[in-house]
Order: sequence, then structure tokens, then C-alpha cells
Amino acid sequence: MTEIRRLVERVAEAMGPDASPERVEAVAQVVIEEMMRDRPPESAGTPFVSAEPGERAIITAYGLDRPGILAAITNVVSNSGCNILDVSQKILQGYFTLIMLTDITPMRGDLRTLQQKLSEVGERLQVRVLVQHEDLFNAMHRP
Amino acid sequence: MNYDIREIIDTVQMLEVENFDIRTITLGISLRDCSSRLPQTVRARVYDKIRRTAAHHVNVAEEVEALYGVRITNKRVSVTPVALVADGASRDEFVALAQLLDVAAEHVGIDYLAGFSALVEKGMTTGDQALIEALPEALATTERVCASVNCGSTQAGINGDAVLAMARAVKETARLTADRDSIGCARLVAFCNAVQDNPFIAGAFHGVSEPEATINVGISGPGVILRAVGEVGATADFGTLADAIKRMAFKITRAGELVGHRCADLLSRKTGMPISFGVVDISLAPTPAEGDSIAEILIAMGLEDAGAPGTTAALALLNESVKRGGLMAARHVGGLSGAFIPVAEDEAMVQAARKGHITLEKLEAMTAICSVGLDMVAVPGDTSVETLAGIMFDEFAIGMVNNKTTSCRLIPVWGKGVGEMADYGGLLGRAPIMPVSKLSNTTFALRGGRIPAPIRSLTN
Repeated sequence: MTEIRRLVERVAEAMGPDASPERVEAVAQVVIEEMMRDRPPESAGTPFVSAEPGERAIITAYGLDRPGILAAITNVVSNSGCNILDVSQKILQGYFTLIMLTDITPMRGDLRTLQQKLSEVGERLQVRVLVQHEDLFNAMHRP
Repeated sequence: MNYDIREIIDTVQMLEVENFDIRTITLGISLRDCSSRLPQTVRARVYDKIRRTAAHHVNVAEEVEALYGVRITNKRVSVTPVALVADGASRDEFVALAQLLDVAAEHVGIDYLAGFSALVEKGMTTGDQALIEALPEALATTERVCASVNCGSTQAGINGDAVLAMARAVKETARLTADRDSIGCARLVAFCNAVQDNPFIAGAFHGVSEPEATINVGISGPGVILRAVGEVGATADFGTLADAIKRMAFKITRAGELVGHRCADLLSRKTGMPISFGVVDISLAPTPAEGDSIAEILIAMGLEDAGAPGTTAALALLNESVKRGGLMAARHVGGLSGAFIPVAEDEAMVQAARKGHITLEKLEAMTAICSVGLDMVAVPGDTSVETLAGIMFDEFAIGMVNNKTTSCRLIPVWGKGVGEMADYGGLLGRAPIMPVSKLSNTTFALRGGRIPAPIRSLTN
């Protein structure tokens, strides 16, 4: 209720000498309706969401080692607008493994498009590439 | 990086190698506002409600699958027990309603819709009776509708008339779907102490005290638990074994909780109605895939095969450890929450049954300590109604006295006998036909009436 009162006061202030109780009420009504429309229906909220700002995804790739895998994957990721935050690449007994933490907040397009593009690169280079939102790892490995 | 590389590899290994999946995202829909005295009005309201609520269910689940890279094997719907919604309808009207549910399920893109159900543990209304009579034709003329009837509870005892009626329904369903190894029976479950928020088909329904619409999640992951058991080695003691299972169960439950919440959020946004997140059902549900088996876990614990002495204890250890880990991980745990032992859906269990290592009697003992009952068990087609009823009575007595859910999904495979196989394909798998006792129980089964509730029901 205090929020609504504050809203009415702000509207009245902004309208200055034109403010009449009816006009203020009409404007406030429109604003409230707009706010309600933008608000998603109530739900319990998703737990395990990272406290840090922005959204991150973890890209994992594995398969037989050959030249150019990291370059090809990095290329797709940077073309999508994502920012690479951390990379770890290892060759274990001839197998290539890559783990990459990316900031997907500035991503152009959605995660599925990025996954599709990376899968295409993966198929060409015979590596399996996974893209997973960070929340999964938060949920599974943090108390 | 915020995460240890081992943690990331652990998750990837679960998903890529060990068949870890979310077994089911089940959208429960209340049909309580669909009642009417006119059957055609009920059908119109039911169809409309399912279409409105579940239209985006599959899309949303697929979106969440892509977001986390976690496979959601089944996207399904459960509804209010239909006998409550259309009480007073005739047998034929219930058949028509089942057929309408089938069409609604197809239109929203799901393979199974459950809740063609009645709750009759204490007695049957005329509507309940009509629904049970309608079951064989309803199941034989639909593909996606799943039915269940609760015949007993710790509070009410066992409704003997309902058990007998269900045994008749099972037998008749087997006959009507004889051309496909009596597959209709795979969609028909009889319960004792049925739960209101079970996400697992075929026994799911949206309970009467549930909200308007809710998402319940059934996790799975026998393959992941199998690795945990394998890693502790053959000489680790029971406590160590329990600990390893518990840790793994924590992780998979967390993944289930995350996926469920996200699905509920997205679905609320898309439908414009509040769809809450209900529970995670921390069950281990096997599939016919290799390594995705409860029997293999029992073998890894140190048994020659499922059915060896110690099997029930090993299963109890597994079941309790999964619950311990799962309870810590989730805000709300519910549903059946226990290891499933559906014979047909677990390839190593199928092998054990074929070799005679697992018998009906051993399965019965196992169901006393885990969910959920004699599940997907094929018996000879000439098994009498009274014998089927007797098997149900025994199973429900275990549930009633021990205050737990038990069920029977029995398939008397029409025209086939012991040693033969019934093949259903897909997740339903294939079932070896198991021998049933030839001793008569006819006088007992036909007594009728209600077995009184046990002393432990008087808790106040």
C-alpha cells in the first residue's frame, strides 16, 4: 500500500498544476496495469541460481585429439557474442578434453542456437560438445 | 573457474555414460472444475482444460532439456481421478471419456496421460463401479490413457469387492488386447495406499488435495548409483556403501529439483496461470538399457544374481541410502520415492526371472521394503481371476500393515505360458512369463467385504 501511495504522490508531482484527483487516479491505474502485465505469475522461484550477476554456461568437449578443435570452438563461441571467462584444455591418453566457462549474458540468439552450431563443429571434428547452463553444476555440486 | 574440473567431468560422465536422466516431468492438472450432469459438457470441459494447461508442456520440457543438457525421458500429464469428475456417469460414458482423454493426450503431444482412476479403498460409488467396469474397453480402445484403482489403505483396510473387480478387469483387459501380448494391462495398476503426487505413469493421478496445476518430477539414475557402488570396491563395509550411494543420490535429486522448478516457472509464464512445483520423487527407475538396472546394482553389491539370499537386505540398503541423499537435496520430496523393480523394464531382472532366480514370492518380499509392488510382472494367460485377486490381496496386505504403497501391475499374457516372453518394446521392455502357484484360493477370494484396517491405523 505504501508503494501505491508513493506512486500516486509521484504522479501528482509530475503532473504539477494539471493534477486533479481523477486524472492522477487514471494515470496510476494505467501504470499499475502495465506493471501487473510484466510480472510473471507467482511461482516458488527456481533455487540454485548463482548469486553472481549475469548468466554463465559451461561448454565441455571431448573426443579424439586433432589440431584445431579449440580454435574452432572458440570461434563459434566468440561469434555468438559470448565472453570466454576461463578455459581448461587437456590431452589425456590421446583424448582431447576441453572445459570452458562462458558469460552468455551478451549472447546473440539463444542457447539452443549456440548448441546447434557447436554440435555441427563437433560433428565435423569428431568431438562431442555439450553446452550447459551453470545452474546445473551449482545445484549438483554445491550444498 | 568456480567449479572443480572433477565436478564438471562427474556431471558429464553421469549424463553421457551412465544414462542419468530425469525420468519424467509430470504435469498434474485438476479436473475438479469440469464436473457437470451432462456427459458431453464434462467431456468438453475436460478437453479444454487439458489443452489449455498442457499445450506448452512438451515444448517447455524440451527447452529446459536444452538449457541444462539433461535428458527428460518422459513428459506426461496426470489428472484428477476421473471417477470423481464424472461420478454418476454410466460405463459407456466412462469409455467415451477415456477415448476423449486419449485424443487430448495426442493433441498436447504426450505419450501417456494418467488418472483414469478411482479411489475405492473403503467402498464404491455407482460411478466408481461404472469406471471399473469400463476399464477393459477403455484400455483396449485407447493408446495413451493409464488407469489405476486404489483398493486398500492402512486407514480403511482392503476392499475385497474392489480387489475382485480389479482382478476381473485385468483378466478382461488381457483378453481384449490379446493380439499385442495383453499390453493393455501395462496401463492398469491396482494400489494399496496410492499416493496423490506420484509423477510416475501408469499409477499417477492428480490427488484431490493438490493445487490447480503442479509439476512433479521423477528422477532416475540406476547407472549412476551402479558406478558409486562399483567405486567403493568389494571390501567396503555397509556404512561406506550407504555413504557412496547417498552422495550420488544427493546430486541427481538436485538436478531433478532444478529441472522441475525451471519447468514450473517457464510453464507458468507461457500459460499465464500459476503452475507450482510440487515434489521430487526420489525413485530409482530402471530402463531396458544396459547399466540402467536395479538388479545390476544388487549384483555389484556382491550377490551372484538378483534373487540370491541377501537380495531383500541389499535392496533395503540401496533404498534407504537413496532416500537419505535425496531428502537432504530437495525442498519437497514425495510421490513413491523408492527403488522400482519392474521386471519387464529391467533387463538384468528379466534375465534373473528367466533363470528362475527371481520368483513371484521373492519379488513380494522385496516389495515389502521398496516401492512399489509387483510391477510389470507377466503371468500365464490362463491364471484365474481368483488367483490374480489372491496375488493382489497378498501385496495389498503388505502395504496395509506396513503403512506403505504397494501395487500390482500384473499381465496375464493371453495365450502364453511359463517360459515364453511377452515383448512390448520401448521403455516397457519384454517380460518373461513367471510361474504362479497352482494352489486354490477361490473360497477366500470370493468372500467379499472389507478386510479390517490394522491396529496401527489407530494412531490418535
